[in-house]
Amino acid sequence: MAKAFRASAGIMLAPAVTLIGVFVLLPMLLTVWLSLQDWSTQTPFSGASFVGLGNFREIFGPTSVGRDFKTALLNTAIYTALSVALILPLSVVFGLLVHQREVAGGTLLRTVLFSTYMVPMIAVALVWSKLYSPSEGPLNQLLGLAGIGPQPWLSSPRSALISIVLLNVWQQVGYFTVLAIAGLTQIPGSLYEAATLDGANGREQFRFITLPLLRRTLLFSAVIAIINAVQVFEPVALITQGGPVGSTNVLTYHIRRVGIERAQGGLGSAMAVMLMLSLIVCVSALFAFVNRKDGE
Amino acid sequence: MSLAWISKLTLAVGLVALPATGWAQAVNISYLTHWSPETVALLEAAAKDFSKQNPDVAITVRAVPFGDLLTTLRSQSGSSDGPTIGGIYDLWLPELARDKLVAPAPDAVAGEVKSAWPAGVVSAASVGGTLYGIPNEIDVYALNYNKELFKEAGIAAPPKTWAEFKDAAAKLTDKAKGQQGFGMINSWAAGVVHPFASLLVSNGGNLVKDGKPALGSRQAGETFALYEDLIKSGASNPAMATADANTTGPFLDNFVSGKTGMIIMANWWESALKTGMADKFANVATAPIPVGPSGDKPHSISYSWMTVVNAKAGEAEQNAAWEFLAWLNSPKSGKNGASAMSDILMSMGILPSRNSDIEAHKDKLGSEFLSGYVSVLADARPFPVVLGGQEFSESLQQTLEALQYGQVSAKDAQANAQTDATSILERAAK
Repeated sequence: MAKAFRASAGIMLAPAVTLIGVFVLLPMLLTVWLSLQDWSTQTPFSGASFVGLGNFREIFGPTSVGRDFKTALLNTAIYTALSVALILPLSVVFGLLVHQREVAGGTLLRTVLFSTYMVPMIAVALVWSKLYSPSEGPLNQLLGLAGIGPQPWLSSPRSALISIVLLNVWQQVGYFTVLAIAGLTQIPGSLYEAATLDGANGREQFRFITLPLLRRTLLFSAVIAIINAVQVFEPVALITQGGPVGSTNVLTYHIRRVGIERAQGGLGSAMAVMLMLSLIVCVSALFAFVNRKDGE
Repeated sequence: MSLAWISKLTLAVGLVALPATGWAQAVNISYLTHWSPETVALLEAAAKDFSKQNPDVAITVRAVPFGDLLTTLRSQSGSSDGPTIGGIYDLWLPELARDKLVAPAPDAVAGEVKSAWPAGVVSAASVGGTLYGIPNEIDVYALNYNKELFKEAGIAAPPKTWAEFKDAAAKLTDKAKGQQGFGMINSWAAGVVHPFASLLVSNGGNLVKDGKPALGSRQAGETFALYEDLIKSGASNPAMATADANTTGPFLDNFVSGKTGMIIMANWWESALKTGMADKFANVATAPIPVGPSGDKPHSISYSWMTVVNAKAGEAEQNAAWEFLAWLNSPKSGKNGASAMSDILMSMGILPSRNSDIEAHKDKLGSEFLSGYVSVLADARPFPVVLGGQEFSESLQQTLEALQYGQVSAKDAQANAQTDATSILERAAK
């Protein structure tokens, strides 16, 4: 009986497992294999020659290849950290605002917030590149009305990456707000009623009821926000081209430049493997942190 | 055999033969470019003219931003379905030829090109003596300056030496008005490197000499120091220098709005200037690159573009592509003895390179803006076309941008640039 069950389970799972194997696992293994080869993307795989860890030594080495990769890795880490640090709290704040029944126009606010997520990135990039224009941009004109001098936004290596982060937050926060609202609706209203009867004020209710019970939703949001941020490509390709001085050169854009534009497939694959490992480490650390909190 | 059977048999043979006849006659080829929609429309019109004379060939034109052109060529030219024809920058040719993405020109085309184009331009379209593309445009750098701003600053003539150049840049700078004397460019490799290279060759130096980087020279050191001086004095503001993927952006906006006094740029941006400045375009003048302390006379950097054919395309498509390109670049296709390609290029202010085209467009090339470029062409030095050239350019761009933003000194920038270039070119040559 158990044997028949295992066989039927195997048959049921086979299509999905095969698809995942062919379209997910195989490309990942191929990328790892290519990262150990000297290979031009314009030649067949048979033209690859084994170089061991040579590509990894080069991307962490002192030459321009290593310097550019390390800068791109750092830029990606900063972009991801800032994006998550801004998106999650904002999504909870907006979620709480929209979730309050007594707030007039809540549905409209929800629609407006989510609509930014539906706008294609090409349109977002075009509009924001004009908003950030140092001389004629509306943002600097608004700042001027408040007596603040013009900011360089995308034209300075100190502010360009942050400007791209703000654009990302603007676009993504609506989606994460919807996730936060979904989490908030799962919290039983009776808990708040009991807390009110016990004399807890709004801040205490948020700290001891809302936040702990929203933890799983926030974990999911954080994982998705990290993955989205690590994969940032379009605003960099469309607006800054990685500049100025490589300050917005993120890993996906850099891998495209090395692997496709320069056809250095081995080096590009080594960079992709490092990106994948970084992502695995970050997400695993996040799960471990939340699990430890749950254990406490 | 009855009439009915004969009819059925004829119909069947006709149906079988129909698709084969269609395939034999219709050849579809595509042309990938980075030109603007207005210029693409001109190319499409030329393609239609060709198809009228050659009804078996259908040509489609596709445009991508300049920043995506090489990537698109690299990712799509590996298959027969990729673009049949591509317009490329000469710096990309050695690697595209090495990777067998572009086809050598047929003997007839190669013979025609060698006899009708200047030898230097033919050489830039060749690798190891084999011609891979039909050259079309040639671009050269010169100093562009705003005559009105010069007049306001009391400067009578464009600077001829670096000393005069620095003096003019200082006089043109007015921080209160948000005005800079000399506009550098960032976030675009060629836009950053070519003006620097033009100043370097005008100071008697080279980017690459005998296949090896020459950025460690005294002349290069003086050029890095010039950049540092311009930045430190405030005569050049990097925050006004950013370019976007379409090679426009704040650096162009600042020049067309009269907030930049001088810039070193190529002739092709005439159309962008005209669009941005309208009547005020008359304020723009062109002058040779100022000569540095170690230079003998004005020199500048030139580079060329060419059209190549996808080596992976089918034989019929390749033949049709070469036939179309030969026609497009011949005196038969344009007006008054000019080629259709040169008419398209001249609409953007780009210099054609075929000898007969230069003759045919003599009047327009004598305009106030373009004549300044034509006059410096003879002493221009071609940008080095070497394996690893694009990576070398991007690396030098990073170093120059770091210098622009004060992240490194001129001395360190020079040392970094030479070290990086040596490592890149050595690796590429392996």
